[in-house]
Amino acid sequence: MPAETQTQNPAASAPRDADDRDPIYVKLRDLVYQACGIYHSEEKLYLLAGACKRRLGSSKAKDPRQYLDLISNPSTRVFELRELLNEITIGETCLFRSQPQLTALQNVILPELIATRGKIGLRRLRIWSAGCSTGEEPHTLSMFLLEQSEKLLKGWTFEISATDLNDRSIETAKAGVYGTYALRNTTDFYKHKYFNPADGEKLQVKDEVRARITFSRLNLSDDTKMLFMKGIDLVFCCNVLIYFDIPSKRKVVQHFFSSLQAPGYFFLGHAESLYQITDQFRLVHLPGTTTYLKAVPGSEGTAKP
Amino acid sequence: MTTTTTTSANAELRKRVEKLRSLPSSPAALQPLLDLLRRPPDEIELSQVVQLVSYENTIAAQLLRIANSPLYARARPAESIQSAIFTLGIQRIEDILLSNCFGNLVPGDKWVVAPAVFWRHSFGCALVCREFAEQIDYYDPDRAYLAGLLHDLGIIVNSLAYTDEYRQVLTDAVQNGRPLHEQERESLGFTHCDSGVILGKTWQLPEVVCEVIEWHHDVERVPSGSPLVFLVHLGDLLCRLRGLGYGYEEWRAIDLAADPAWAELARHCPKLATIDLARFTLDLDADVVRITKLVDTIFTLH
Repeated sequence: MPAETQTQNPAASAPRDADDRDPIYVKLRDLVYQACGIYHSEEKLYLLAGACKRRLGSSKAKDPRQYLDLISNPSTRVFELRELLNEITIGETCLFRSQPQLTALQNVILPELIATRGKIGLRRLRIWSAGCSTGEEPHTLSMFLLEQSEKLLKGWTFEISATDLNDRSIETAKAGVYGTYALRNTTDFYKHKYFNPADGEKLQVKDEVRARITFSRLNLSDDTKMLFMKGIDLVFCCNVLIYFDIPSKRKVVQHFFSSLQAPGYFFLGHAESLYQITDQFRLVHLPGTTTYLKAVPGSEGTAKP
Repeated sequence: MTTTTTTSANAELRKRVEKLRSLPSSPAALQPLLDLLRRPPDEIELSQVVQLVSYENTIAAQLLRIANSPLYARARPAESIQSAIFTLGIQRIEDILLSNCFGNLVPGDKWVVAPAVFWRHSFGCALVCREFAEQIDYYDPDRAYLAGLLHDLGIIVNSLAYTDEYRQVLTDAVQNGRPLHEQERESLGFTHCDSGVILGKTWQLPEVVCEVIEWHHDVERVPSGSPLVFLVHLGDLLCRLRGLGYGYEEWRAIDLAADPAWAELARHCPKLATIDLARFTLDLDADVVRITKLVDTIFTLH
């Protein structure tokens, strides 16, 4: 099951209204999905309804129907979609956000990578957290992999490249200081082992965790710089591509594909999809989550059922 | 899977079929229920459903309890069978009746996989198969539902006939994160497909359903090449990877589009090639929530 349960998201904990089932939200859902690639199933439609209602206050629309017009209108569409996406993803960022992804890494992906990379004697993993925002994702991965370094990854090294467009986000990420809200999914085990106390109730990620991460500014649309990202084993890019229009998204995804070694995996946010964006990556199902695989040329995929 | 059941295991299986002969015969309500399931919803008459419900007086009471449970949040309580049927919908009634049939068939101490877990998977797979069928224009979505519902009948057989050994099989599968049928083949020498089809034939289930039961884990060897076998195979995989498996996670990455069943199914249903699988999977998550609630309601009120 997706880790982003309702209680973890302040936007999501708003009471559900009966009118959340208004078919207008299904139309809005389909429109947002087509334009941005983020999908709200029936169970999650209330999240979209909530985001839409919060936008009603600050947009010109008075009701959901007018709001749909605003989103459909070419002159207001781009701006309003961006605002809506901000409302949809608000409060989603935290450490250990997607437990199914980590479980699948541990039980399926890492053992496979260790087997294939180990064969050519390269005992090093390179991970790219693209659009890392304030660092929750790369820090989570660093802690998770450090935890594996005495087990699965014994004798292996790993390095994490964390990039974002926003300088201020990167500065915050480098400090690695998080409050209780960002730490709501972090277990006491990890808190004690990998954090030091900071101001008030905040905690700071220990140096050994930060030492594995290189933070840098990168515009995913900068073709020249994107070409330098090579030899990556795992790419994580959550709730970032939804902000790109379809041609830009195709280009960025192509860069991710080129940056990966095969077999290599590309993880998106749990409600994101690359339908009609690429046919190079293969959609792969893992327990409770999905990922996109860059397969070894000539092989059909990974494990056979 | 290409491994064949070994000869000695075959002999063993045959020997144990004797044991299967002592299995209870098909529950009284099963045949009419299956007939009902095969009919399009708009051809089902309320009176037939009421008749079915009356096969056992405990069922009527159970339907009322479920209709009045928080899951259905009615403004006024359902007081008659009719209003319970309206609240629950024909499909739910069928599901409840069916789980009841099997509930009576298998004594409580013989369930190796917990009954709630078994039904979550069976109803889940049934629903996924029907929705999958609709999405790819497979001509008979209701048949897909039925096949999805009964594809793992062999798990009931194994639980009844080999209770203690089968407990160990399940424990080992959970521990190794392995698919159940692989563990069965290794430990017992046969799978729930081999045993399920024996019961399916005894009960004279439709031939295509028997085929699904027998071949859904071995699609490359299915003699008839019926598309329903491929469809249920894929629906079953999806369920097991989305929280509707047998109560444990299988540690596998599955590229459904690279599965041999995918290509075979696409030959019969060309629309499969354009399906938005990512979206279908997210919709499935919503179904998982609904099915889990339904099954848990059935079993807490049982």
